Amino acid sequence: MNRVAFVCHPDYLLHAPPFEHPESPVRLAAILDHLRATGMMDKMVPITPAYAENGDILRVHTPEYLHQLESACRRGDLTLDAEDTYLCGNSYSVALLSAAGAMAGAEAVIAGKARRAFCALRPPGHHADRNTGMGFCLLNNTAIAARYLQARHGVSRILIVDWDVHHGNGTQSIFLEDPSVFFFSIHEHPSFLYPGTGRRWETGKGAGEGTTLNSPMSPGAGDDEYRNAFEQLLRPAVERFRPEIILVSAGFDCHKDDPLADIQVSGEGFRYMTRFVVEMAERHSGGRVVSLLEGGYELKSLTSSVEIHVQELLGT
Amino acid sequence: MFVVRRMQRDIVTVSPAASLFEARELMRGHDIHQLPVTGENGKLVGILSNRDLREASLPVRLIHGATEKEADDLLKNTPVEKVMTRKVVTATVDDTLEDAIVLLHDFRVNSLPVVDGEGRVAGIFSRTDALKAFIDVLGVGEISSRLEVVVPDQPGGLARIMTIIKSFHVNVTSVLTTGAPEEGKRAIFFRVATQNVVPLKQAISEAGFRILDPSSFRL
Repeated sequence: MNRVAFVCHPDYLLHAPPFEHPESPVRLAAILDHLRATGMMDKMVPITPAYAENGDILRVHTPEYLHQLESACRRGDLTLDAEDTYLCGNSYSVALLSAAGAMAGAEAVIAGKARRAFCALRPPGHHADRNTGMGFCLLNNTAIAARYLQARHGVSRILIVDWDVHHGNGTQSIFLEDPSVFFFSIHEHPSFLYPGTGRRWETGKGAGEGTTLNSPMSPGAGDDEYRNAFEQLLRPAVERFRPEIILVSAGFDCHKDDPLADIQVSGEGFRYMTRFVVEMAERHSGGRVVSLLEGGYELKSLTSSVEIHVQELLGT
Repeated sequence: MFVVRRMQRDIVTVSPAASLFEARELMRGHDIHQLPVTGENGKLVGILSNRDLREASLPVRLIHGATEKEADDLLKNTPVEKVMTRKVVTATVDDTLEDAIVLLHDFRVNSLPVVDGEGRVAGIFSRTDALKAFIDVLGVGEISSRLEVVVPDQPGGLARIMTIIKSFHVNVTSVLTTGAPEEGKRAIFFRVATQNVVPLKQAISEAGFRILDPSSFRL
């Protein structure tokens, strides 16, 4: 069994919607309950992150946006945009803590304290771009962790695998011109689902041409189609790129029971995807995998899929 | 939706007396496939396409062993007015975008010089510009979700749905409507600036409209 860090903070429950909203603290509470009840929690090493330094966040986000977010929370704004990306008084500090969790997971793995990490974060991050949050996301946790690994540990090749059902438009935008971070996103086709980006010809720009890879999936696609995309698109790309560490933007909303989208991945699909990432990491990255929670809104499938995901990270 | 809003204003023209060689260099230098030919006062007298150029140099290219220089010489010695198309399909500065798209389609041309009341070229509108307009209208690339709703083909359906969308404080970034596959129905395509379409879909269904399931579109 591999040493897996479990990163979480009780304050993650304090970012709470002022109206009915799918991205609620109940999601995380359900994951915690389920991992405890199934005994999975006892198999992992708990890590509680400290607060993030501003400098860690500013590697990704603009100071203007940070200021805007902080002021909006202080003013008591209910949302950042329409009613998608809600705010409450705690949201700014919880968002910082969520980013801190991503960095803590990355730190544990790169320093060899754990072989892999699962970071049970809220709010999620992959839609957040440098200068704005959107789509339930405030700060881009995955991007912040990647920049942290580059700046503090000199990691030169990072792979991000984003299997949230929505395209990771924020992460893509942040690393679009960066050849040292390979971004792979598999998601429901943008003609049908938010955010409407991530078409197959979006492959990077300038120096980063070729280190962005998108696999848009037709509505109704399931385990077989996902497996084909992983084997035919991602596998050769990873073999060429040879990452030193793999970050996963782990959204569980591509599950067939999730109400937000039209993709039909099953629990076994998450097992396959996790195994794939672990196999790639064992081959190229010293086994280093840092998984970061993104979406997943149907509690039963969310919790059972997270359990399968953690099992495969542990290698039990 | 007027063609002047969407046309290219930065245009390159050529005079009828210029040589085809000059015309070719202009096209290459600006990466364009056609040149409006303008006479005195900038009035449109013809249009020259890269296809006209290719056809004009064909006689030399067909000769076995002919050199690039010989082909260039032919182009240098031929004035634009000798091969240009004189009867040009044009749009006017008053035309709508729809006019221009229909002209491109019905006359099977690649671009339309847009002329003012005096016959001067004010801009050019190409198939690429038409596609760009279509991409914008469809809302492609805008951060949004898609909703497809089937409504009875009678007044008021769209308004009722818009009222529901408004009650969720969600912006609509694109609306399109076409006849539905069923008789007496109409399909409306919305792009809405939210990730959370579940409550929207639910409210629209509860109001008696049918939401098209994207999975059902698979062939």
